[in-house]
Amino acid sequence: MFTEELKAFRRLGFRHVLLQVLNFASVIASGLMIWKGLGIVTNSESPIVVVLSGSMEPAFYRGDLLFLTNPSSEQYKTGDITVYKIPGAEIPIVHRVMETHDVPKSIDIRKYTKSKSKSKPQPGEDSKQDNQLLLTKGDNNYVDDIELYQGLEWLEKKHIVGKVRGFLPYVGYVTIAMNDCPQLKYALLGGLGLLALIQRE
Amino acid sequence: MHSIFARINNTSALLSSCMMALLAAIALSTLVFTARPEGNVSVASVQVYSGNTRRYATKRQDLAFVDFNITADFAPLFNWNTKQIFLYLQAEYNTTTGIKNEAVIWDRIIRRKEEANVNVIGKNKYNLRDLSTNFKNAPPASYSLKYNIMPYVGALTYGEAARNLRTCCVPPAKDPCIIFV
Repeated sequence: MFTEELKAFRRLGFRHVLLQVLNFASVIASGLMIWKGLGIVTNSESPIVVVLSGSMEPAFYRGDLLFLTNPSSEQYKTGDITVYKIPGAEIPIVHRVMETHDVPKSIDIRKYTKSKSKSKPQPGEDSKQDNQLLLTKGDNNYVDDIELYQGLEWLEKKHIVGKVRGFLPYVGYVTIAMNDCPQLKYALLGGLGLLALIQRE
Repeated sequence: MHSIFARINNTSALLSSCMMALLAAIALSTLVFTARPEGNVSVASVQVYSGNTRRYATKRQDLAFVDFNITADFAPLFNWNTKQIFLYLQAEYNTTTGIKNEAVIWDRIIRRKEEANVNVIGKNKYNLRDLSTNFKNAPPASYSLKYNIMPYVGALTYGEAARNLRTCCVPPAKDPCIIFV
């Protein structure tokens, strides 16, 4: 099957092979640039996420794609759908904010968060904004998320990856399928790599 | 140009471009609708009891119970791109210590236009409690009915349908203690 391609490579020379590899690398690099650029614009470490659980049904089903932003100059409001990550848990959770408490900087927020750290939080970039304590709940759950917080009583802004702004249905199912059976992921990547190298245009 | 591979390539490229154009058209077309439904929220009574919640069974705190009456019609918000409307009633108050609080006490999901006419006399679904475990520093709260439209494709939009301004005081806690099961 590959004899024709191999003959063509020998005819065109080693330089041509290098050119193909360079094309391949520039495609990957521009993809990465777009992803990171989007992350900077939206101020979120992961601006596009896939819904993994059914706890927000009937709004979001497993496999939907969500677009996030994380405005540092805005406070989160009740009703916002946020994606957050609890330190210690790897999977981000998509739930809706049920309660917000804006605590001004003059009050020490550690009184309410039962934080064990002795050092005062440094006044960082967002010293204009009050600290916020948030409580979330999935639309399809009966109770709020306290059990998911792994000991925390409230969520803070630093735990939140972003707020959902827009949504595309079903598109993310490919990533869920690839996570569930890794052979599919390798097969897809291997096939794409092969195609990119063999293409002559 | 005429191999099977090239044909599949071209067809799938055309399919995905048309699909993306269609989805963008659906998402953008809903920007035309600017309906703003108006409703009415009235609060019948607010009572505060000191009790435990199931979650923190050993922590005694003040819990507020709110009886309210909501009427609103959300039918003008439904169009071809509306998947569901999430309604929520929230209580907002600023304590004298400077903490601003907003808490959702009731919510409902509307999935079809036939259910969009809302007439509810009820009480809060969720516990209303304060960070400082008592309502001594809490002034009268204002209650607002807000909605969130979730589309099939596109951006989520939010709005406020009704607001009730600070007519009900939060009274001091009554003694009967209630243990929730």
